[in-house]
Amino acid sequence: MTASLSLILAASAMIGCGIYLVLERSLTRVLVGVVMLGNGVNVLFLISGGPPGRAPIVDESDASAMSDPLPQALVLTAIVISLATAAFVLAMAYRSWQLTGHDDVQDDVEDRAIRRLAAADAASDSYDLSSGEGEGELEMPEEEGSPA
Amino acid sequence: MLALVLAHFLAAACAPALVRILGPRAFLLLALVPAAAAGWALTWTSRMADGVVTTEVVDWVPALDLDLAFAMGSLQWVMVLVVAGIGALVLLYCTWYFDADEAGLGAFAGHFVAFAGSMLGLVLADDLLLLYVFWELTTVFSYLLIGHDPAKRAGRAAGLQALVVTTFGGLAMLVGVLVLGTRAGTFRISELLADPPSGTAVTVAVLLILLGAISKSALFPFHFWLPAAMAAPTPVSAYLHAAAMVKAGVYLVGLLAPAFADVPGWRGVLLSLGVYTMLLGGWRALRQYDIKLLLAYGTVSQLGFLLVVVSIGTRAAALAGLAMLIAHALFKATLFLVVGIVDRRTGTRDIRQLSGLGRSAPLLLGVTVLAGASMAGVPPLAGFVAKESIYGALIDIARHGEGTGLGTAAGWIVLAGVVLGSALTVAYTARFVWGTFATKPDADRLPAGRTPTGMLAAPLLLAVASLVLGFLGAPETALLAPQADRFPAGDHLESLALWHGPGLALALSTVSLGVGLLLFWRRASFASLQSAVKQAWSAERGYLTLVRILDRTAVEVTSLTQRGSVTTYVGVILMVVVLLPGTALLAASAGGSYSVIGWDNAGQVAVAAIIVVAAVQTTRSRRRLKAVVLVGVTGYGTALLFLLHGAPDLALTQVLVETVTLVAFVLVLRRLPEYFNDTPLTRRRYWRAAIGSAVAAVVAGIMILTTGARTETPVSAAFPREAVAFGGGKNIVNVTLVDIRAWDTLGEISVLVAAATGVASLVFLRTRRAGVHRVDPNALSAAADQTPTHPPRRIWLPASRTLAPDRRSIIFEVVTRLVFHTIVVFSLFLLFSGHNSPGGGFAAGLVTGLALVVRYLAGGRYELDEAAPVDAGALMGTGLFIAALSGLAPLAFGGAVLQSALIDLHLPVVGDIHLVTSVFFDVGVYVLVVGLVLDLLRSLGAGIDRQIVGELQTDAAELEEAT
Amino acid sequence: MTWLVPLPVILPLLGAGLTLMLGRRPRLQRAVSTTVLSAGVVVAATLVYETDRNGPQVLWIGAWREPLGISLVADRLSALMLLVSTVVTLAVLVYSIGQGMTGNERDTPLTIYHPTFLVLAAGVSNAFLAGDLFNLFVSFEMLLFASYVLLTLGGTGARIRAGTIYVIVNVVSSMLFLISIAAVYSATGSLNLAQLAVRIDSLPSELSLVLQLLLLTTFSIKAAVFPLSFWLPDSYPTAPAPVTAVFAGLLTKVGVYAIIRSQTLLFPESPLTDLLLWASLLTLVIGILGAVAQTDIKRMLSFTLVSHIGYMLFGIALGTATGYAGAVFYVAHHITIQTTLFLVLGLVERRGGSTSLIRLGGLARLSPVIAVLFFVPAMNLAGIPPMSGFLGKVSLAQAGIDVGSPLAYGVVAAGMLTSLLTLYAVAKAWNLAFWRTPEQAHEMARTLSDRQLPGALEVIEHRDHVHIGSGTFGSRDTDEARSILDEDDGSNQDLHQLSRQGLLPTRLPRTMVGATGGLVAVSLSLTVVAGPLFGFTQQAADDLLDRDVYIDAVLPEDSR
Repeated sequence: MTASLSLILAASAMIGCGIYLVLERSLTRVLVGVVMLGNGVNVLFLISGGPPGRAPIVDESDASAMSDPLPQALVLTAIVISLATAAFVLAMAYRSWQLTGHDDVQDDVEDRAIRRLAAADAASDSYDLSSGEGEGELEMPEEEGSPA
Repeated sequence: MLALVLAHFLAAACAPALVRILGPRAFLLLALVPAAAAGWALTWTSRMADGVVTTEVVDWVPALDLDLAFAMGSLQWVMVLVVAGIGALVLLYCTWYFDADEAGLGAFAGHFVAFAGSMLGLVLADDLLLLYVFWELTTVFSYLLIGHDPAKRAGRAAGLQALVVTTFGGLAMLVGVLVLGTRAGTFRISELLADPPSGTAVTVAVLLILLGAISKSALFPFHFWLPAAMAAPTPVSAYLHAAAMVKAGVYLVGLLAPAFADVPGWRGVLLSLGVYTMLLGGWRALRQYDIKLLLAYGTVSQLGFLLVVVSIGTRAAALAGLAMLIAHALFKATLFLVVGIVDRRTGTRDIRQLSGLGRSAPLLLGVTVLAGASMAGVPPLAGFVAKESIYGALIDIARHGEGTGLGTAAGWIVLAGVVLGSALTVAYTARFVWGTFATKPDADRLPAGRTPTGMLAAPLLLAVASLVLGFLGAPETALLAPQADRFPAGDHLESLALWHGPGLALALSTVSLGVGLLLFWRRASFASLQSAVKQAWSAERGYLTLVRILDRTAVEVTSLTQRGSVTTYVGVILMVVVLLPGTALLAASAGGSYSVIGWDNAGQVAVAAIIVVAAVQTTRSRRRLKAVVLVGVTGYGTALLFLLHGAPDLALTQVLVETVTLVAFVLVLRRLPEYFNDTPLTRRRYWRAAIGSAVAAVVAGIMILTTGARTETPVSAAFPREAVAFGGGKNIVNVTLVDIRAWDTLGEISVLVAAATGVASLVFLRTRRAGVHRVDPNALSAAADQTPTHPPRRIWLPASRTLAPDRRSIIFEVVTRLVFHTIVVFSLFLLFSGHNSPGGGFAAGLVTGLALVVRYLAGGRYELDEAAPVDAGALMGTGLFIAALSGLAPLAFGGAVLQSALIDLHLPVVGDIHLVTSVFFDVGVYVLVVGLVLDLLRSLGAGIDRQIVGELQTDAAELEEAT
Repeated sequence: MTWLVPLPVILPLLGAGLTLMLGRRPRLQRAVSTTVLSAGVVVAATLVYETDRNGPQVLWIGAWREPLGISLVADRLSALMLLVSTVVTLAVLVYSIGQGMTGNERDTPLTIYHPTFLVLAAGVSNAFLAGDLFNLFVSFEMLLFASYVLLTLGGTGARIRAGTIYVIVNVVSSMLFLISIAAVYSATGSLNLAQLAVRIDSLPSELSLVLQLLLLTTFSIKAAVFPLSFWLPDSYPTAPAPVTAVFAGLLTKVGVYAIIRSQTLLFPESPLTDLLLWASLLTLVIGILGAVAQTDIKRMLSFTLVSHIGYMLFGIALGTATGYAGAVFYVAHHITIQTTLFLVLGLVERRGGSTSLIRLGGLARLSPVIAVLFFVPAMNLAGIPPMSGFLGKVSLAQAGIDVGSPLAYGVVAAGMLTSLLTLYAVAKAWNLAFWRTPEQAHEMARTLSDRQLPGALEVIEHRDHVHIGSGTFGSRDTDEARSILDEDDGSNQDLHQLSRQGLLPTRLPRTMVGATGGLVAVSLSLTVVAGPLFGFTQQAADDLLDRDVYIDAVLPEDSR
């Protein structure tokens, strides 16, 4: 089966740029990237179906000249799903703009806390809580050792 | 035996209820369970002497060779008596130890009995894995028992420490057990002892098992958890930390010694650690002022002693070791119980405050003296008998090895250590008795409270037992012999007795007694000597440091991996993609065969070029709208590629979807700032570019290789024929969607439902339902009234009046009015012709949706509700319902799910109608997609409209307040 | 009985449609959801029985001539997964009904929960049954989109933040999946798993390795295998308890299942043993270290979730029958136990007002029921015998020792270390949240107060703007900003203060407790039926290793 370089070029261009955008911080950019990725991937399916041909609609002429209908069906599904994705992420971007005044992807708070601890060379809170308690008591035998 | 164990757990389950009803008296009832076990064991007494072994096996998990296998030989018999007997007595003691209002008593009772059950199971188990099961259970229940009073920080910390330390040993032991079992091909203890495997793996395994035993029996360097665990209530200490749990390690070693005593490292580890622990414990005990801690360190010391004797592996030693184990259980339990009584009676356990107790409680003193004497090894008590024969055994070993392979020097060193340890034992025994009961000049006498007689029963009984046992050397020997005989017999056959005649053993006993008493007599100077000796390193400090190091590592590692930024996470994922499949791709491309051509047709090149440019431009655009439009270009470009490739359905759908997406984008973007707030982090930008192009390259390579590697004909080759014959449609893609691969479509439309629901929930938060707002002619918005009514105009769209005049465009309204129904009709055509020519449910639904979009854009949100006065959610639901139902329907006719049928009707006027049932499925899809678009318009369009209006109004309100 | 196979998928979808149409009738909605999910349990149980007696149950959807259409396949593995997952799903649904998830509460919209939850259920079931690569993708999308919605329920700040991470990562992984499918199709011209099994054999081995790695990476993101697991602990814990529960229980396991299926069926002689062993080792250790570092029980459990994926991966990596048997058993155990624990945390949150170890205390006395419901599964998670966690651990360790390579021993050791640290982590949580008295908790929190509490964001108000963390708000949104702050950090009060103000309910809804207790009982019953269950998993593993069982069941000789 032969592949058309121009198709591959188009597909990988969209995939590459899509990923570049997905790695951005603004949700809108991310979404634009996702949509582009989706288009790129759909072209991949086109490639996987082999050479182009007539529309896969049966009439008198022979079926061999048709383009492979299966990948087309898959792409149809994929297209619709990417529509769903776009809609949902849009709503999320809108909500996060409502909440924070921008649509930038935010970092996780708890992780930030842990990173602060690491930076401060401190132990975790749960450690401080659970071992901070009763350390003295554990030493009790020692302390009592010294003769009164 | 299984029944006995289960009985314990059953009782444990009932315990809380019992306690709630009876209060502490419930312990009397609960005591019956272990008592029953002890009684059962006693019925075997006579047969034990003949070396009978009773077994019982119930299958559990054959796949893991894990069966409920139990066996009782004389060793187990002794342990059962100790565990169950003392367990019963301690429970009895609890009746008076606890007040009725003790918090969490029910749970305590439950845990205690459950622990007794686990302990029983541990000593009876004949399967190493089963033994481990009970081993861990004792750990967990001891954790719960130590933490009985959760308000005590010490208790909590000690519990956690004991749990972690013993579980650490336990897990090492588990690995050992598994390795040993796989090497031997069985986990059955009796079989392992019958022919023990050998080899390096086995040696390692055995040493790992010893690690478990050492940690459980609180040998150095794990000893520290035991004194800390004294935070537990005294009955717990008496049972777990004197009689039962800490003996588990000793038991295990004694159990395996016959088979594995000669494994390299066995004696080395156990003897050295044992002797050291014995001395360490004694030394520490002499520094304690809390009598309970004193006993705790005493126990540590005795455990070391026991392990030395039990592990050394001669007949004499085994016999003496067992005797010592029994004696220790008896006297140590007694003494702990005494401590409990003293504590309850005086409210203190501090030697410096206790004074004059001897006068006020002579009976208690008597009990203590008996038990103490047994601990110190004073004739005629059990302790003396045992220790005497231990000396005997060790002397023989020191003199001529006894097949232990110990050098003479080693033998004598061990012996010396043991003697010295015994001397310390004598000393701290004296310190205990004196400290508890003596009347001290510098301490004021404490008020003597009363002690319920019932509380005295248990210690009294145990103390008397220590005394009586001293005179029963001969029968004891007979009963322990079967276990002892597992070891090679020594030079002269030894037996337990009060009087062995004069000899080195007797001399040593006297020496240890003398030295011990001397140490006690000169205690002041000895104490100062002790405090002079500063030990640099202590195991508990080590433990605490380890835990801290662990936690620090955890924090550092976590801060490295959890960057909290999705960009990083996605970056990592993509790098993995580039690294793994990428490198594999390089390898594959070396030998891979592939055929590529520049383009299939000229158009392709042009379109591809446009796409590439648009894609690159998108990444560089700083305006939101521009980016969206550019990505739209790539989308439409893709549609063109589809068309050129011979995929009209795809092209059609792609265009429609792209349009709907654009609309949605615009609806949201009107709220977001026009420009991206860019942070020019160039380095990051390069990273992104690098990852992006790397992935793109990998994908391109993969496609080239895979297309090149295709040899098989695709499944779809058969589609055309089948589609017509079986699917009854000429448009193969559509037949595939609604019939051949309808299952995909069903899943996919449910995805649409979920997505739309999500959008609605993010916009409306509280409910999915947007609500339908028809225009109310009487109450039109202010905007409508402002519209000039002269000259009177025809209303093109019912709700357009609700818009502010400046937002209205007559032409748009007129056009909308004209085209709306045309579009809808067209979409219906697409729907029903889809089976044979381009179109189908999706396309049709989207077209109808676009019609709605037009109405909304022209006439505003009220117009939308005029156009489609239905709830979008319900609409989508209906669609999904129809599709799913049409999928299930065939079942009724004995078909498979989603099986379609061809129906040819002949109607007189209309003519032939050629109907495929899969059209119902397609209708479902249609309805659902319409619902989807409507839903998006309701939430992203109308919903956001309302929020804008709301904000404007609040702004206005604020403005008025200001003025 | 093959007609049963699609029911666990199509019935929930029917239900989803119905519940949407019944938007205004909560009681009916509940009836519908409970019915379809219970039906799912019955069907799954029947399938387990059928597959055990008559081998794999195959249905070609629409009765299309194989291999044209889509096949649904229930073999022993699928059936078992299906049974466990349906049981868990049903329990969670009951629990959430009790919690009022499905009522009109502020952040739990009436018409959102039921349909979405049902779509999720359908997606999970379909993933276990799919006999077609693309259909597997579709089922992933079903459960993913449902999970997007459930994760962002109520659209609070914390959930949007978590949702963003979750959605983006999963969208990317979906794209990867599509790329892999395109690659597979262009190389083989087929999508049916059975046919692929045959056709991939004829590909050059280097190329099939590429495909294998592609699929493996895709599924490993879902299964949260190191280093593709970092997203999980940041996204799961913020969701409502039942949602987190069902996610933790099922979603990652779907990934694990996909790995098992693809590795055994498509790439039988895998050259990747060492790679997978290393992955499982790192997943185990790094995950559990994360758990040790946490201060919030929910997060802590999310990390144990990731860590224990390593156990299952270990079994898969070994690639022996015992290994797979252990892995499958562990999956069943882990689904049950993780779900149970998160449900319990829901109870804790309700009774204690938080799941943060800084704020909790004294629950053992305040609510013995919760104490028992937490302790038993927690110990089970830590692999305390004789519970299922221990059995799974032992079987995997045995499998590792049988293989006996140094690396295998290394992973065994890592596994033991993991279970020790798991025990340490949960015991720490127990000490603080259940034993320590609320007063002590209160005063300890004060001693920590010099350090800023994790999750707390500072509110700075100046002129007409409010800054919260990174965000800026018009003064109009001040109240909303406050509410976000609350969302981000729970209420800043600890259990002691809350209970003194009588802000905490002393009674818990019976259905919630009942559902949780039921799952605890199920998890314990795994121990009782361990014998037959292990027998079953072993046969399942044998079927996996002997691909022909599957292939023959799906495809007749001529149509391969």
